[in-house]
Amino acid sequence: MLANVFTKSTWDRWRGTTIAVVSLTVMLLFAMAVYRDIDLAIYTDLPEALRAMMNIPDGADVGSLAIGVLYGLYGAFTLAALALSMGSAAIAGEERRGTIGILLANPKSRTHVLAAKTAAMVLLIGAATLVLWGAAHVVPAILDVDMTGMRVGPYAFHLFVNALFYGFLAMAIGAWTGSRPAASGATVAVMVVSYFAVSVFPLVEGWENVARAFPWYYFDRANPVINGVHWGHIGLLVAASAIFLVAAAVGVNRRDLKDQEVGVTLIDRLRANPMTQKVADRLAGSTRVSRIWIKTASEHQGLLLVTALVMFFMMGVMMGPFYTLFDQTVLEFADEFPEAILAAVGGGDMSTAEGWYQVETFGLMAPIAVMVVTVAIGARALAGEEARRTMGLLLANPIPRSRVVLEKAWAMTVYGLAVGLATFAGVAAGSLLGRLGMDIGDIAATSLLVTLLGLAFGGLALSLSAATGRVKIAVFAPIAAALGFHLLNAFLPLNDSLAGYARWSPFYYYLTSDPLTNGMHWGHGAVLAGLTVALVGLSVVLFQRRDLRQPG
Amino acid sequence: MTAQITIHTEGLTKHYGDVRALVDLDLDVYAGEVLGFLGPNGAGKTTAIRTLLDEIRPTAGRAEILGMDTHESAVEIRRHIGYVPGDLALYPNLTGRDTLTYFANLRGGVDWSHVDELTRRLDADLSKKVGDLSSGNRQKVGVIQAFMNRPDVLVMDEPSAGLDPLVQREFQAMMREVAAEGRTVFLSSHTLSEVQRVADRVGIIRHGRLVAVESVADLRSKAMRRIELEFDSPVEASVFGAVPGVREITVEDHRAVLTYDGKMDVLLKTVADRYDLVDITTREADLEEIFLTYYRDEVNA
Repeated sequence: MLANVFTKSTWDRWRGTTIAVVSLTVMLLFAMAVYRDIDLAIYTDLPEALRAMMNIPDGADVGSLAIGVLYGLYGAFTLAALALSMGSAAIAGEERRGTIGILLANPKSRTHVLAAKTAAMVLLIGAATLVLWGAAHVVPAILDVDMTGMRVGPYAFHLFVNALFYGFLAMAIGAWTGSRPAASGATVAVMVVSYFAVSVFPLVEGWENVARAFPWYYFDRANPVINGVHWGHIGLLVAASAIFLVAAAVGVNRRDLKDQEVGVTLIDRLRANPMTQKVADRLAGSTRVSRIWIKTASEHQGLLLVTALVMFFMMGVMMGPFYTLFDQTVLEFADEFPEAILAAVGGGDMSTAEGWYQVETFGLMAPIAVMVVTVAIGARALAGEEARRTMGLLLANPIPRSRVVLEKAWAMTVYGLAVGLATFAGVAAGSLLGRLGMDIGDIAATSLLVTLLGLAFGGLALSLSAATGRVKIAVFAPIAAALGFHLLNAFLPLNDSLAGYARWSPFYYYLTSDPLTNGMHWGHGAVLAGLTVALVGLSVVLFQRRDLRQPG
Repeated sequence: MTAQITIHTEGLTKHYGDVRALVDLDLDVYAGEVLGFLGPNGAGKTTAIRTLLDEIRPTAGRAEILGMDTHESAVEIRRHIGYVPGDLALYPNLTGRDTLTYFANLRGGVDWSHVDELTRRLDADLSKKVGDLSSGNRQKVGVIQAFMNRPDVLVMDEPSAGLDPLVQREFQAMMREVAAEGRTVFLSSHTLSEVQRVADRVGIIRHGRLVAVESVADLRSKAMRRIELEFDSPVEASVFGAVPGVREITVEDHRAVLTYDGKMDVLLKTVADRYDLVDITTREADLEEIFLTYYRDEVNA
């Protein structure tokens, strides 16, 4: 009986899980192949503080370095994200889709449904862990990497239990609130904050033990890959998970189920309040619907707010003073980094403030932040309205399809610029606070280039959205392309004969000219801007030619 | 009819791969009429409407609205039409008023006093978020949106879905008023009683092909009548079978039930010659029976 809900929940998720673990396996293969061919002294001789941050274990060799970085960082986050996505979808997801009513109209208790969803989550995370465990044996064997002394089994077990902890936490929040965004948002926040806390607190003298208050501590601080399973830590995580599961069962049974959910935003509350009604009405009502692009932008305001705040405060303002706290030995050491390796982590000479910001903020986080916003808007712009079946009504108005595409592209551009601006303001403020004396113009140039880079990938998402009308394709293809192009640009230059091909990657036109030191490279900026314009133009053509989809 | 043609299709055809969703649709709709577009699920009604709106492009054939090609002049045409899509979806985070404001901004020239009147007539609530409305109340927002700029041509796909009977009456009156003002209503519907009440003509579509276009009055007059006759003595079936036009005969002692499509005069004279007629009940066929007749052939075929 339960098998129906269980098998359906498993079926809904197996593809995403498979793609995730296969990608991790490929990345492990790639990382081991690269690490095998370079002198690891540059990593292993790093000061302890920096090694802790990059998740590089003591006495690292090729195997432990690859496992530590790939599984300890990407693997742990991916598995936990899969689990929390399933956990938050378990009850709250069905409510959001409005399917919980019909599901519970069958002779199944709420507890049974929850149990089936739990079983599906445990099974899928378990299977994913098994694949990673297998990959950690097969990949080194293929590449002939020595894994002596590495205890992959216990490490995989820690990965598994850690991921489920976040899955059950999300499930409990979802079961109590019935809100999927609340469940996944709060759990992601716990995960990210505790990850940073566990990386940072041990570096601050006198605060080392504060890290124990955060759950990520119990994932790998006992170094299970060397020391085996730490049953005390596992026991804590399992006990917490059990409490969450019981809480979820109690929560889902005692409350009224929600119908399809419409989020209540701050502005809605202001509109309901007679004091603020007039202003809020103008903002939320007449202004919001005055133009297609403003309405499109308003639909993504939450995403923009979060992304811009993260870039401004965490990646911008905080990084400046943090740099000054850093151990000088790290900075001296950084001089010895081979240039090619520095290019791989986003370039930058760590002994300068510019290099520091390039590695910490601009190398990866800034492109990711801009792309999160531009790809989300680009992909949803056309395909999203089609999926929600509102495109027909929109196009019943006397406006050409090209105008819809261009207004949506404009919303994407405005938001991309906003993230770029937040990054610029944050880094400029961080530089002032830390008295780092960075050049404002250079910060602006780099922020502009990263915005243009993000817009190019947003343009790709828009084109795919226009061509296919399918949100999934328009989201995942640009992400895959961005990852691929980033790796090409990072690793091709390590080989002199292949270095020239890096020009085919849009990332080449972002940091290669070292804009944080040299200022704006207008030629490179023009390439990225031209690419964006071409992709938007292509979107107009593609969208005009095609039948609108009508999803059932 | 001398009225101006407002919607005109010529061999309009749409294939999805091997699926022939719409085949050679030739149809004219005139100013000042309500055309009911009938057909079971999957017959091609929505495909036809989406082609008229240029949401999808025909595999063959063409269509005109107000003398303009539906693809070439799509934008200009949309200044003159109101549209309620089938299975209506709106933006859940906008209130009804926000939704109407949005479309009014895109459309231009909306008279808000008219919107207020429509809102009052349909008893709609525009202050709530669309996502919080029941499907019927959401449908009202969609209907107001289609009527609000007094379009020359209204194209509606199952517009009364979810509306309660009182609101349906009002909505039907609104459609009749549109037609009375010389404007056109193209109404796709399952609700046969509604089509019967408001439509001047009906088009019946089946498997993507238009099988009949007739005025509602003509369809009814052609249709079978069901007649119950009661006599003061037992009757024999053979007497009725001899009358041309009598189809199904059920005789039970003093009663006979017939379906008949001939002249009433002939039938009555024949039976009155033989028996004493005590009572007669006849009922005009309604659209549902006509509709079922068309589709029963399909089942038998």
